[in-house]
Amino acid sequence: VAVPVIMPKLEMAQETATVVEWLKREGEPVEKGEPLLTVETDKVTVEVESSASGILAGVRVAPQQVVPVTEIIAYILQPGEELDESVNQRISESASWQTSKSQGQSVTPVAQRLAEAHGVELGAIIGTGPGGRITKADVEATMAATSRLVAELPPGPGKVRATPAARRIARERGLNLAQIAGSGPRGRIQAADVLTFTPAPAVIPAPTAEVVPLRGMRRTIAERMTASYRTAPHITLTVRVDMSGFEEARARLKAKAEATGQPHVSATALIVKAVAWALKRHPWLNSTLRQSSGQGLRQSSGKALRQGSGQGLRQNSGQALRQDSGQALRQDSGQGLRQDSGHGEEGEIHLLPEINVGVAVAVEEGLIVPVVRQADRKGVAEIAAEVNDLAARAREGRLTLADVAGGTFTISNLGPFGIEQFTAIINPPQAAILAVGATQPEAVVAEGNQVIVRPMMRMTLSADHRIVDGAVAARFLADLREALEAPTLLLW
Amino acid sequence: MPKRTDNVRRELSYLEAIREALWQEMACDERVFIIGEDVGVYGGAFGVTLGMVEEFGEERVIDTPISEYGIAGAITGAALVGMRPVGEIMFMDFTTLAMEQLVNQAAKMRFMFGGKAKVPFVLRTPAGSGSGAAAQHSQSLENWFVHVPGLKVVMPSTPYDAKGLLLASIRDDNPIIFVEHKLLYKTKGPVPEEPYTIPLGTAEVKRQGRDLTIVATSIMVKRSLEAAEQLAQEGTEVEVVDPRTLKPLDEETIVRSVIKTGRVLIVHEACKTGGYGGELAAIIAGSEAFDYLDTPILRLAGRDIPIPYNRTLEYHTVPQVETIVETARQLARGRV
Repeated sequence: VAVPVIMPKLEMAQETATVVEWLKREGEPVEKGEPLLTVETDKVTVEVESSASGILAGVRVAPQQVVPVTEIIAYILQPGEELDESVNQRISESASWQTSKSQGQSVTPVAQRLAEAHGVELGAIIGTGPGGRITKADVEATMAATSRLVAELPPGPGKVRATPAARRIARERGLNLAQIAGSGPRGRIQAADVLTFTPAPAVIPAPTAEVVPLRGMRRTIAERMTASYRTAPHITLTVRVDMSGFEEARARLKAKAEATGQPHVSATALIVKAVAWALKRHPWLNSTLRQSSGQGLRQSSGKALRQGSGQGLRQNSGQALRQDSGQALRQDSGQGLRQDSGHGEEGEIHLLPEINVGVAVAVEEGLIVPVVRQADRKGVAEIAAEVNDLAARAREGRLTLADVAGGTFTISNLGPFGIEQFTAIINPPQAAILAVGATQPEAVVAEGNQVIVRPMMRMTLSADHRIVDGAVAARFLADLREALEAPTLLLW
Repeated sequence: MPKRTDNVRRELSYLEAIREALWQEMACDERVFIIGEDVGVYGGAFGVTLGMVEEFGEERVIDTPISEYGIAGAITGAALVGMRPVGEIMFMDFTTLAMEQLVNQAAKMRFMFGGKAKVPFVLRTPAGSGSGAAAQHSQSLENWFVHVPGLKVVMPSTPYDAKGLLLASIRDDNPIIFVEHKLLYKTKGPVPEEPYTIPLGTAEVKRQGRDLTIVATSIMVKRSLEAAEQLAQEGTEVEVVDPRTLKPLDEETIVRSVIKTGRVLIVHEACKTGGYGGELAAIIAGSEAFDYLDTPILRLAGRDIPIPYNRTLEYHTVPQVETIVETARQLARGRV
């Protein structure tokens, strides 16, 4: 019969002892009374003698392990005898003993063994033994309760473990128990869990933005406007224009168009004509800056603004207008902005041979700029017809590449929207853009300090300061204003 | 209602309080007499009736042969013919010998005669372990009588309650099993000198608390109060409710307390299985207190074994202060 080797209780108050060393190895024969191992209490170290003769087997405790007294730590077998499988299980960890000790929990050895064998959490058991010691019966009761009733019948889907009090409080407060973590045994929700629960603020789904991919025309506009704004240092100049003469001329042209059965002359057509007239006198505003290295501004003026075709204006986006301020700016005006940055890229300003005025047209997908070619050479009626046709086709999406290519200057007219004044971003690779506001009656101080009411219009020129200085822009704008105020000058 | 007068400070033992109640009632009601084994010259096995035979004579303090059946039959018959006898059974264990009279006769009469007969007796008997009297002299069999319609069951836990409840019991027109506790006989407490009664069916909150209700009977009230005192050091406020009479039961006081604390531990000495704790638990679970329960209803009770003679084993067979403390602590912490 296997004789158990038991951790001896050496002192009255002793609860555990530590194995110092086994003096016999497993399988080694031992005589009754022979020292078998040394153990250490908090007071002494003693040798434990074998209580039987036989062969040491089933050593369950390694040196330095802390073991409760009376615990079986090995067996003495008779020759030929084999250790029962069930008792041969080594106790791999003494941690659980120490855990239970550290919690100040008292556990009987048999209860300890039973709990370990069945994975019962000792912390959840209330000991009914003396001093609250956990006994075998306590472990068995817990096993019975947990294994049969709980493990085999877990809460169904959507059910939670909660005490009646927790349920009542949750009901009273309109809380959902499923959202509350239980602190009781087996995760049971108790009243305190409900009382301390603060519901996550009612999840109001953040309004989600409608997502529109940046592509096609939108992407082209984004890239080109960004490139322009980053690359070309914009200067903006605003003038107020008395549109009395303009309106008068337009009225007359309108009457003429009606009389001759031609399409009526829009304000835009007349402005295009005036702009072309002024550009002819100020070629710097009708120019483009090109990199001599062939990199930036690779677009020739004849191909500018290939918008609207659906392929997008990919050209230039990354490279065009990539002129940093540190790069050489050569202005032939002799004013000496001849900065040699050392980067070595030389630029050229090309004063363009044709005056092709683009007119920005808002379309559903964005913005498109059809071009009135050689506007300086066309009559107002012709321009009007062309602008009408281009605008109509733009809105219908029927513009061809030729319709939008080659612009040398752009007019953006937001007057019809009631906008008084705004600034526009230059449409690269052009040198300038004119933002036209609404014509509205305004109080004007006339000669003799008299206040009179006039139809006034504000227009703002944005110009690329690399090419156009303020004075150049101002002179252009002054001439343009003069032409608009007295369209007769267009005959000049 | 009892009048607490200036002499409320006067302390008597539980035993003396019972004797005083008997004495006072016998002095003012000649229908009252005492009958039992060794209640006369010997003064009762625990000395409750000491000196009474000298005061009231052998006709009113009657020693009987060793026959509990005889005692029970005598008081039943005497009560039926208009007396108000107080019988004594030396150990509750021996009420088993009187069962036929108590259960089949005394309990039934009033009902079987359509209220025209009544059996106004009190059967006093000490129960409980802790005196080293072994399995046949240590039982707590109160629930046997609770189960019998027609009987009332009273279990005082303090000298004050013992006197007031005994006087109320003697004056009650029903057969009453008055269960005393051996270990309580020597405990002392304030007892007014003048006669007073405590209505049967009124529980008392012996200690106020907010964290946990302990419903305890007889000596477990005392142990629970000691446990509550210890737990108070830890900040756990235990409310201790003593039903005082198991039948009729003051459910309202118990339910109100459980509603207040949300946790309840029932403690009695009698064996857990089939014990009164099961009844209490069922009453609480079925009451308005249900929605306030935040832990399972727990019972601490005697083990389901005969009380051992070995004093150490005897001690661990029934709830003690430390087991009450430990269980109450776990319960109050929501660990159960």
